[in-house]
Amino acid sequence: MEILKYACPQSKDEAFRLIREEHGTAIGGAAWLRTNTKTIALGVDLAGLGLEYVREVGDHIEIGAMTTYRELETNPLLRARFGALFETTVSHVVGVQLRNIITVGGTAAGRYGFSDLNTTLCALGAQVVFYPDQTMDLAQFIERGAKVPFLLEKVLLPATAKGTYHQMRISENDFPIINTTAVWTGSEWRIAVGSRPAATRLCPKAMALLGADLHPSDDILASAARAAADELQFGSDIRASAEYRREILPVLVRRALMEVRE
Amino acid sequence: MNITLRINGKQESIECLPGEMLTEVLRRAGHFEVKKGCDTGNCGACTVLVDGKPVLSCSYLAVRAEGKEITTIQGLADEAKKFAAFLTAEGADQCGFCAPGFALTVLAMKEEFSSIPDEAQIRHYLAGNLCRCSGYEGQIRAIKKYLEAQHAE
Repeated sequence: MEILKYACPQSKDEAFRLIREEHGTAIGGAAWLRTNTKTIALGVDLAGLGLEYVREVGDHIEIGAMTTYRELETNPLLRARFGALFETTVSHVVGVQLRNIITVGGTAAGRYGFSDLNTTLCALGAQVVFYPDQTMDLAQFIERGAKVPFLLEKVLLPATAKGTYHQMRISENDFPIINTTAVWTGSEWRIAVGSRPAATRLCPKAMALLGADLHPSDDILASAARAAADELQFGSDIRASAEYRREILPVLVRRALMEVRE
Repeated sequence: MNITLRINGKQESIECLPGEMLTEVLRRAGHFEVKKGCDTGNCGACTVLVDGKPVLSCSYLAVRAEGKEITTIQGLADEAKKFAAFLTAEGADQCGFCAPGFALTVLAMKEEFSSIPDEAQIRHYLAGNLCRCSGYEGQIRAIKKYLEAQHAE
């Protein structure tokens, strides 16, 4: 990718102005720039905005858009509130060196189909905050996108939840063939599925079957897992066929649900 | 545009394009110890430390490195030589192309862990460094022995 002009604003106001008024393109982790052939007239680097943080604010957790995957993997607050969920979600993404570069905001803004992280964020009911004052469900944003250029400032998570991530890959560091995260929020179940290979979607029918019980029977878990596969669309690509994805998914969903239930 | 980088403790002023990655800029400045492997963010050959953290220089925007401390294998030559002796002893050096990135990742791991990592932790930490000669077994043996020796010192 070629960047004709580069700016590294030191305030969110300036970054937002460059994106909205001068048609700048926000640059997050920038790891994909190397393999992209686009030309960017104005690259707006978000590295100067102080958006690297994981912190508790009121009844939720805020993750700054420039927070790296490696930080998610090792952060003590996320570990305390979500167990190993974030570690297991991002730990297959190439190596430590790439995870020290790629960011939460870049992943959410990119709405990538192959993403491990977006699946877990959607299952947790994450919201994305666009500077200056718009908040939106990540799942909704991934489905619909944005109508105008935006500055994704941070991601909001509930203060705690119990969840687990399962995926299948051809090789350890490849993109997933299919992935899923199941979460018990404390009052309801949430299931998200990604790498279909299209972007992450929630599974409302499967979630409804599980009800508001942390300990549903094995039969209900199996029905919910099957329902998740039935209610989603799958596609074929070089990694797997749609049929294969549809057959594999219920196994992963059932494993994830069983793990959370226990 | 012109950027000032601090490379292995020395300030260097370098011309670069806004979209250039750190590998290109470092090699143009004569740092050929930074290897160009896959150039797509997969193999780990181009690993350098930025403010002590291992990153893939092929996927790291060069302008973003301004004002940061960049360490290539030359900057940790003494430490790297000690590690290299273990690689050689285990027959794990082979062609050597992956060795600079490999060694830097091992040295970063040593700094990050407060105790000696176990084999699973070592394999996980080094998952982003590919070697097409050795099959990894010799390297894993070398890393374990190197870390044990360092811990004993």
